[in-house]
Amino acid sequence: MASLASLLLGDGRLPVGAYTYSAGLEPAVAAGLTRDRIPALLRARLHTTAVTEAAAAVLALRAAGQDPADYGPVQHALTARTPAAPQREASAALGRGVHRLARRLAPDHPAVTALAALRPRPLRPVALGALGAVLKVSEEELAHAVVYDELQTIASAALKLLPGDPLDSVAWILAAEPDAARAVTAALAVPGPDRLPARTAPLTEQWALEHARRERRLFLA
Amino acid sequence: MPDNDTTPAPQPNPHFHEPLNQPRALRLGVAGPVGTGKSSILATLCRELAGELSMAVVTNDIYTDEDARFLRSAGVLPTERIRAVETGACPHTAIRDDVSANLDAVEDLEEAYGPLDLVLIESGGDNLTATFSPALADAQLFCIDVAGGGDVARKGGPGITGADLLIINKTDLAPYVEVDVAAMVADAEAARGGLPVLALSRKDPASVAELADWVRALLARHRAGSHVPTDPGPMAPHSHS
Repeated sequence: MASLASLLLGDGRLPVGAYTYSAGLEPAVAAGLTRDRIPALLRARLHTTAVTEAAAAVLALRAAGQDPADYGPVQHALTARTPAAPQREASAALGRGVHRLARRLAPDHPAVTALAALRPRPLRPVALGALGAVLKVSEEELAHAVVYDELQTIASAALKLLPGDPLDSVAWILAAEPDAARAVTAALAVPGPDRLPARTAPLTEQWALEHARRERRLFLA
Repeated sequence: MPDNDTTPAPQPNPHFHEPLNQPRALRLGVAGPVGTGKSSILATLCRELAGELSMAVVTNDIYTDEDARFLRSAGVLPTERIRAVETGACPHTAIRDDVSANLDAVEDLEEAYGPLDLVLIESGGDNLTATFSPALADAQLFCIDVAGGGDVARKGGPGITGADLLIINKTDLAPYVEVDVAAMVADAEAARGGLPVLALSRKDPASVAELADWVRALLARHRAGSHVPTDPGPMAPHSHS
């Protein structure tokens, strides 16, 4: 099951509401980002937020394996490292879709029931850790899925926001491979929630704050 | 309108809904092409039923909350009971392919104002093929109008043929657009194999009363457990990823 499951985790067609999210691309475009700069944005995400989120997902997966599962520390650490409120809200909204899927697949799994107790609602990486436990994926598969999803989310959103040849976006993702591999390695090396890297990106946070007040958006963040 | 209890009930799919501890609100979808009067029907239903039922509304727009604002300004429901989902993508994505954002909105309303009797979910205006997934709506109205042309009902599509109720709206405009309402209703009935068709105008109180009665009867079936959500069928194959 695990090999199909790891592919499912990285599949944008998974019905968990991810189509509402551009991983920061729409706010960046509104701030003037042009199509030729998308590869640079991908690298920037891989050096910053993607590491933090992948590491948080891995930590949540580890927490899911404990008895009892306690996501509190990783949720708390990730919340503190996501300083822009719209980004936290987007993460919680996306986490809700992941949580719903986990509940449907395994309502009585201890990793899933522990998620229900979290308030505020679990951020997406935390919910993904619980789903990863249900799907029995490895830490490395989960970290890869989170990093890959970040890239594919931006590349797919680009088709709506900065239209061009869709085949270009495949090449962008492949070109980001070395940075993606480093992000996965960095995420796996985090020993615990207190050491979760605070790879903040002030400009994307500023853009996220501006985006939240904007009308006629295609994506929530 | 024919009674749709007599139509053969498809087998319920146990995966469509979360296990329920208590009867939850009836979730009624309103779909149909752009400009056919979906928001107006929601306002009419609120006006007719909010006095006797605890209601809430979710609207879907691509990138505005225009429909929610319209309903709030109509004053037919407390404004906080009207939530907008900005679908961001093609409206059918949010009501069929991936209903997460709409389920979030419905569940938030139920949590804040529950127990509710009826949640109305308005689709963003799309085309003739966009219908609600039973994962989101227990039942659905599909709305077309006389101004869209007398032949629309004949053209079919899953909403026209399979929605729980087909509404042919704006019948008061028929003389101005040279459409024969009776013929349009007959076309629709022929396409629907016994499922009900309602010729509606908000200026015709009898038709409005008929609509409200249909919703009351549906709610009674929902509460009795005899209403089985059905899927009008998929849309024409195409994809947005």
